[in-house]
Amino acid sequence: MANRTDPAAKSIRGTNPQNLIEKIVRSKIYQNTYWKEQCFGLTAETLVDKAMELDHIGGTYGGNRKPTSFMCLVMKMLQIQPEKDIVVEFIKNDDYKYVRVLGAFYLRLTGIDSDIYRYLEPLYNDYRKVRRKSPDGNFILAHVDEVIDELLTTDYSCDIALPRIKKRWTLESLGALDARKSVLEDDFEEEEEKDENEQDGLEEEVAHEKQDYYRGRSPARDRERDYRRDSQRHRDRDYDRDRDYDRERGRGRERDRDRDRDRDRDRDHYRLREEKEYGYERDRDREREGRERDRRDRERGRRRSRSRSRSRSRDRKRRARSSMSPRMRGAEDGKPPEESKKKKGKKEKDDGTDHLDPEIAEANRIRASLGLKPLKL
Amino acid sequence: MIEVVLNDRLGKKVRVKCNEDDTIGDLKKLVASQTGTRPDKIRIQKWYIINKDHITLKDYEIHDGMGLELYYN
Repeated sequence: MANRTDPAAKSIRGTNPQNLIEKIVRSKIYQNTYWKEQCFGLTAETLVDKAMELDHIGGTYGGNRKPTSFMCLVMKMLQIQPEKDIVVEFIKNDDYKYVRVLGAFYLRLTGIDSDIYRYLEPLYNDYRKVRRKSPDGNFILAHVDEVIDELLTTDYSCDIALPRIKKRWTLESLGALDARKSVLEDDFEEEEEKDENEQDGLEEEVAHEKQDYYRGRSPARDRERDYRRDSQRHRDRDYDRDRDYDRERGRGRERDRDRDRDRDRDRDHYRLREEKEYGYERDRDREREGRERDRRDRERGRRRSRSRSRSRSRDRKRRARSSMSPRMRGAEDGKPPEESKKKKGKKEKDDGTDHLDPEIAEANRIRASLGLKPLKL
Repeated sequence: MIEVVLNDRLGKKVRVKCNEDDTIGDLKKLVASQTGTRPDKIRIQKWYIINKDHITLKDYEIHDGMGLELYYN
């Protein structure tokens, strides 16, 4: 009796609303003590009190897949099916972030597409931290906007399969929704204005630094400066600079770090030049990658030596495939000599996908796509 | 390379080729790619012993041709 849906409730997506959660997980919830003790006879009002006591979100965890209290409350909401106003109240409330996430989750499961986008997108601005229970029982850190993004973009969350909703651009073309207006749009406009004001000032400064440390002007450097003029780059750099500014880093300190980075890049650049097999093109690409990497380093405040070692490792591992897992990269050095003997002079692939036996080749292909090492025969 | 057989006694029987030093988690991913369920929904058991994800097949002494039970979470 306790597990039956409210007879006045309407069916969702053609079925009993509780069936939105699949059978095995549903049974686990029904057998859970939290469900039996706390969720018995809850109404919409008492549900709010229980929701305020929530302190984490998550799906099932542990060896025997115990459901979290969050899931039990979602199930309860599906069972009693509160009015849309109540759900919107849950979402709009600012004080209790877990109530908000609960409301958002329920709306994602039961609402219509345009409502989902309309009510969940404002929650992208909420960047408070939430506690999330991982499947192995530990807590991990998440943020409200990450959770909302997961709800809107993936189709599986907290061990519940989310119903399919139409894509945003479909709804926009139907006219049911307006175009997405990001909250950061105003920030971008401000930066573009700052851009124009400060562009000249910064160019001079950087040119001075470079002439201090570079012997001659290599074509790469000139090209870099051209890249710098690219508006996209401008925005990135200014955005980075703004972020650094927000972190209260003095401009002087940034310049020093910039100088150090430039020196590093110079060393890397000359080392690259010596390796004859790389074409001219690659140097340029590498330069660009190196610059972006350095910028990223500056953002995160990494140490100088780390960026240098990373460039070295990137040189070595340049030929490695992107699909290789870190484990595979480590084994790469040992593998090729063995496999070349087997392949009898054919150009061997490191993950054995061109093995003579088609079954093994197929198995290796699947393993490579999952990020596993190839079969040891 | 060993080949293990997973049977869920409801009609799904899969044979999976894997290495001995693969973990159970990797085996679940391989089974998931063959059966179409999600890897975190799969539970591999051997007579009430639920096999844990981070332990290798070699440590569980799973040899070539051995049968494992396939359950769902």
